[in-house]
Amino acid sequence: MVLLLYTVQAQAQQLWSSQKAAVSFFSSTVMEDIEAKSASGSSVLDGQTGTIVFKVANTSFQFKKKLMQEHFNENYMESEKYPYTTFKGKLKDLPDLSKNGTYLLAFEGNLNLHGVTKVYQGNVNLVVANGVLSAKSTFKIRIADHEIKIPTLVFKNIAEYVEVRIVAQYLPKSSI
Amino acid sequence: MHFLKYHLLLLFMLFNSAISFGQQDLEKELVMPANKHEKVMATFKSTKLINGHTNETIYKHELDFKVDHRFGDIAGSNGGIRKFFGLDNSTDVRIGFEYGVTDRLSIGLARAKGANSVQQLYEGSLKFRLLEQTIDDHIPVAVTLFGSNTIAGVEASKDLTSATAYRGFTDRMNYVAQVIFARKINSNLSVTLSPGYVHRNFTAFRDQNDLFTLGAGARAKISKRMAVVVDYYLPFRNSDDQAYLEQLNGFKFYNPLGVGLEMETGGHVFHLNFTNATAIEEMQYLPETTTSWLKGQYRWGFSISRRFSFDRAKK
Repeated sequence: MVLLLYTVQAQAQQLWSSQKAAVSFFSSTVMEDIEAKSASGSSVLDGQTGTIVFKVANTSFQFKKKLMQEHFNENYMESEKYPYTTFKGKLKDLPDLSKNGTYLLAFEGNLNLHGVTKVYQGNVNLVVANGVLSAKSTFKIRIADHEIKIPTLVFKNIAEYVEVRIVAQYLPKSSI
Repeated sequence: MHFLKYHLLLLFMLFNSAISFGQQDLEKELVMPANKHEKVMATFKSTKLINGHTNETIYKHELDFKVDHRFGDIAGSNGGIRKFFGLDNSTDVRIGFEYGVTDRLSIGLARAKGANSVQQLYEGSLKFRLLEQTIDDHIPVAVTLFGSNTIAGVEASKDLTSATAYRGFTDRMNYVAQVIFARKINSNLSVTLSPGYVHRNFTAFRDQNDLFTLGAGARAKISKRMAVVVDYYLPFRNSDDQAYLEQLNGFKFYNPLGVGLEMETGGHVFHLNFTNATAIEEMQYLPETTTSWLKGQYRWGFSISRRFSFDRAKK
């Protein structure tokens, strides 16, 4: 009976939640490679509709060079004005999340970064294993699209496109 | 009993699944990590405003190379077109290095010409962030401690009343200690208040060996990369000694006031400023500024600072 209850609950589970998701980005030029990492991404996924929200605090990104981190927050992201970067979108053709498997899903949605919202599309690698979802995604952001201005003096040090990598683990959100 | 529970649960599940989560509702379900007293960054862009220090130190494994320059009087009897508004003269030049031992502790080494008779200055300094302001105002004010020892290399004078009539090596030493309180009021305005103490092991006859001082400074952004900076220092002199020195030398003491423009371009910070102080070292401009804004005895000054990082990024 208890087992049955559990399976019923697992099947009906709608919301999946991820905390401490890893978000990192890379900018690579001839002059300099820049990398920053955050382990403070948060996300919620609706297991039935595929609707997904992902949010990360800009000040949570850690750089090797602290002065760079200061410039990132002060000059480029303006973290005081725009503290979060948020993605709201949808995972298409979401499979039955109660069954184990590996899937490649397409996503589409709006990314709000530096106060500018742009539509993004890409792929998510999703692994379902015993009630845990592991999601991985890589996509590129064009800095200029989000009205982030790079001064001419450091123009050669910062890439036009920045590669973003996300690794997140989702657990059923206990809604009872 | 079990049966009833099962049914209730199933009913609840059905009800639950009937609700479709919109993106707005979904965002409410987000659990964001709690911000544990996140520190305020970049209260100032440089370790110094014009004459005085800010609360900023150098990050770990970073080196700050800084060149300061003060020209001659722009106006007044020593300035004007004949001296090309002070550009013909240089009252003081300082070349300094500061290195971040940790994110909170910096060590500094500098060489300055020295503006008055006490010249050929070597400065060693320590700067430590005691407290850092937090965004949630758990700590509302940053507190940084600054201490320096400046050694004068100038040849000892034979005039026993002069400021350089050194009898031994320790006579050449000068100490400065300051407690720098700073607050970033908003992203455009930061202020400092810094009480301090200057001790000179040897001074001119009847000049004070010990002096309490109070400084105040501010930085106001006018654009994303440009700011107006200002600082002012108040030395608390003994009025008897002050009157004696002023009468003997035919000058007056003034409080150093600096006003400038700060320009920041990733990695470099430039200052273009005006100040009545001729010297750059604390132990000199605090007790020995005898030039006045109102007499045209203010000067162009600039500082260039460049940061180098020694943390090699792993590939």
